[in-house]
Amino acid sequence: MSVRVIPRLDIKGPNLVKGVHMEGLRVLGKPEQFARHYYESGADELLYMDVVASLYGRNSLLDLIERTAREVFIPLTVGGGIRSVADIRRVLRAGADKVAINTEAVRRPEFICEAAHVFGSSTIVVSIEAIRQSDGRYLAYTDCGREWTGLDAVDWAVKAAELGAGELLVSSVDRDGTGKGFDVELTRQIARLVSVPVIASGGAGQLEHVCEVVDRGSADAVGLASLLHYDFVRSGAPSGHATTPKTQEGNLEFVRRQTAWSAIRSVPLAEVKQCLWNSGVDCRLN
Amino acid sequence: MPHESLPAYYGLPEHVTFCTRCVMSNQRPCSYPEFRHTKDRRTPTMHVDAEGVCDACRYAETKERIDWDDRERQLRALLDRYRSNDGSYDCLVPGSGGKDSIYAAHLLKTRYGMHPLTCTWPPIMYTDIGRQNYLNWCDIGGFDNVTFKQNGRAMKLLTRLSIENLLHPFQTFILGQKNLAPKLALKFGIPLVFYGENEAEYGNPIADNNQSLRDKSYHTMNDISKLHLAGVPVPELIERYKIPLVDLMTYLPAEHTLYDRQQIDVHYLGYYVKWTPQEAYYYSVEHSGFQANPVRTEGTYSKYNSLDDKIDGFHYYTTYIKFGLGRASYDASQEIRNRHLTREEAVALVRRFDGEFPARYFQEIMDFIGMQPDQFHALCDKFRSPHLWVCEGGDWRLRHPVWQQLTAVDSEQIAESGTNRNAA
Amino acid sequence: MNGNNPPRVAIVDYQAGNLYSVEHACRCAGMEPWVTSDPKSLSGVAGVILPGVGAFGDAMRALRDSGLADALIDFSHSGRPLIGICLGMQLLLGESHEFGRHRGLELIEGEVRRLQISTTNRAARVPHVGWSRIYPATRGSQLVDWAATPLNGIEPGQSMYFVHSYVVCPAQRDLVVAESVHGDTVFCSALRRKNVWAFQFHPEKSGPRGIQLYRNIAGLFQADTSMPLAGESRDGSPRRELRHAA
Repeated sequence: MSVRVIPRLDIKGPNLVKGVHMEGLRVLGKPEQFARHYYESGADELLYMDVVASLYGRNSLLDLIERTAREVFIPLTVGGGIRSVADIRRVLRAGADKVAINTEAVRRPEFICEAAHVFGSSTIVVSIEAIRQSDGRYLAYTDCGREWTGLDAVDWAVKAAELGAGELLVSSVDRDGTGKGFDVELTRQIARLVSVPVIASGGAGQLEHVCEVVDRGSADAVGLASLLHYDFVRSGAPSGHATTPKTQEGNLEFVRRQTAWSAIRSVPLAEVKQCLWNSGVDCRLN
Repeated sequence: MPHESLPAYYGLPEHVTFCTRCVMSNQRPCSYPEFRHTKDRRTPTMHVDAEGVCDACRYAETKERIDWDDRERQLRALLDRYRSNDGSYDCLVPGSGGKDSIYAAHLLKTRYGMHPLTCTWPPIMYTDIGRQNYLNWCDIGGFDNVTFKQNGRAMKLLTRLSIENLLHPFQTFILGQKNLAPKLALKFGIPLVFYGENEAEYGNPIADNNQSLRDKSYHTMNDISKLHLAGVPVPELIERYKIPLVDLMTYLPAEHTLYDRQQIDVHYLGYYVKWTPQEAYYYSVEHSGFQANPVRTEGTYSKYNSLDDKIDGFHYYTTYIKFGLGRASYDASQEIRNRHLTREEAVALVRRFDGEFPARYFQEIMDFIGMQPDQFHALCDKFRSPHLWVCEGGDWRLRHPVWQQLTAVDSEQIAESGTNRNAA
Repeated sequence: MNGNNPPRVAIVDYQAGNLYSVEHACRCAGMEPWVTSDPKSLSGVAGVILPGVGAFGDAMRALRDSGLADALIDFSHSGRPLIGICLGMQLLLGESHEFGRHRGLELIEGEVRRLQISTTNRAARVPHVGWSRIYPATRGSQLVDWAATPLNGIEPGQSMYFVHSYVVCPAQRDLVVAESVHGDTVFCSALRRKNVWAFQFHPEKSGPRGIQLYRNIAGLFQADTSMPLAGESRDGSPRRELRHAA
């Protein structure tokens, strides 16, 4: 069973964005271009998160999903603002293969069972946003790490798996965008208690972090954002922002100035896979 | 909506008008010299013009037209006059180790070859993350720093009095922060002081911004006996509250004659350098190990503004009580002007987060200043202006929240579509 | 043989899962896909694809209630190709043990069983999600030759995308065309019985190789398999050229 390398694209409106602790969202480019690039570079899956969806109570990625599914023949998981069975159906019919749910699952845990029953467990990924406390516990949040659920993240992970989640997407809010590495302990604690696949996300800043979370955290898959995105931006390949119309939304300063972001040692996707392979981890090489 | 005639406290405009571009309203207070701040003052407020655009948004427009190359030339010319060649400090950068002071100090040192000394008026109650960021500023960013640790006993008393009289917990901090740097500059003989952004960015009168020198009225005074602190005349503080004058001097600005003897120029770096707050954040992460809080600040969605003082949340809550505008309104408006957010999203954020009660440190602060929670809540209710608030079933709600306001754009769309478009 | 017109292929819609990807993959591969839930529509097409993600019991109920179950069984007797993918593969079998006991379409004798969990062997998590290698099944001392199957052009040991908790166990071993490994379990990842082909993985999600498989399927549909080929009797028993794949 290969470890999966999954580029994670946080999307707001027309833009791919990236923040730190899921805030301060910088625009990095157009999601379709990144998706295409990652598909061609050997990504095993793609993850699209609509980061403003929870605020509006709706997922707005349908067009993007359709366009992606036309060009990219690997599984696509979509999250953000998914509140009902009808929402799931809409997103799947647009071309997504799996959905990631958080807020609604917390609000109504039965939703996980309902969704698993209609669509199959393997279609339902429960997304958990965790923040580490000073006493070493992890608390679960929703809304890009903005709202505390009142739940312990590890306990909630176990419950979600019992209720029918096919996979768990475990994101560390305090590591997100910092480049300091995954929260290996968080991943490990959850992975050892559940039998469903665990996708680790949040914090990868250099190659070694990826091997580390697979080896010591027992992650079955890794979600990578900054580690991959900044490399693609630096390559100069993404187009379309040099002549941005003035009314366009989002912090475009970074892409305009084309400066580096040295907190992250961003690399091409192929290097991530090669690194895993070299450290004895099975993954799909082209 | 028919407008009843209700008393408006603090000299606020009776009618609430929101800017059509950001989510600020005409109730927003402008910066005002704190030592003239009394219970009965008329607060100057931000202006929303006939087209429904506020001063801050108008300034943002002009910001797009500024020739930043020219401004940088002016900056270099200024700095060339002051740059020391013997390793002595040639400029003073006040701050707390937040993103703006990091950006200012680091830019002056590394890009412009200056020799900054930083100075800090510490928060009333440091948060752990605030203290760590301050240390990182010195140790990772690499700056000498002078911190003025205040007389805590006096500060406590003044904080309590400002809450009781003005519902203004932050006054000691604002006063200290504004006045420390010029005084230290005088003492150390440093002729240049640089603050970060200019407050006009946020809605203080536009005239301020066309000059970078800070309005001297902020930090000079002529006669102590005419000044107020915590809403109380200084002589009364001495007589009635038994606070000796020496304990109050820290909060008062320098005597203006001192400035006549020594030339100190106070500038806003934001006049010379285009300031994008979010990029200042990334800059400070990169160069100074600045850490945002993974948990958002209460009352807003932001995680990297206003992190270092446990009383910050109180400040924004009391602003919300007095003016109907909380931290989310401020943060979101600023991000709209920088084009990081659409107005639709901003309205949704304000609706979700504005006015959130700062529960996290509430008890700690009550203990610190020696006040009972009930007392605080009763005070808050006293300060709610009837033209902004209504009490229904024991709950207070805003009469005119931004998400119920039709902007000029909405009115047009409703007229066109004939359907009711409800924001968020 | 069909000339230049792309073969018309029905994709059965029974309210379970991602049809768009299958539809799009068919189009990319040169077929004319037609998503339909109407049982009557199956009679006029060159081939049928039964895709699916979801629960076996609900799926069978949906197929029976709509009349599609009978239509699929009838179609399979026509000799034209019927392709099952993932849940679609599992529905072809006799019995499933997912959320209780259910009868499938019974076109292939055998059972559908849950993959075994092993908490110590991390690789063996259930559901089986991700890329796994496919290998030719063994036939005595030989390996099945994929050349004359839709797996033509795919190298043994290359990976396809799987997402499932259950596997098929056909009663006749020699129906198995490809096998894969999950933990300690070897399971059937592709099978064929006469005109019925089935794949446990999702070729439409398996990158360019998966699209190659769809192109090979298009080739199947283009050969008019309702007519007997030289050397083959009407019951569909193998021609000499196809013997290796049977």
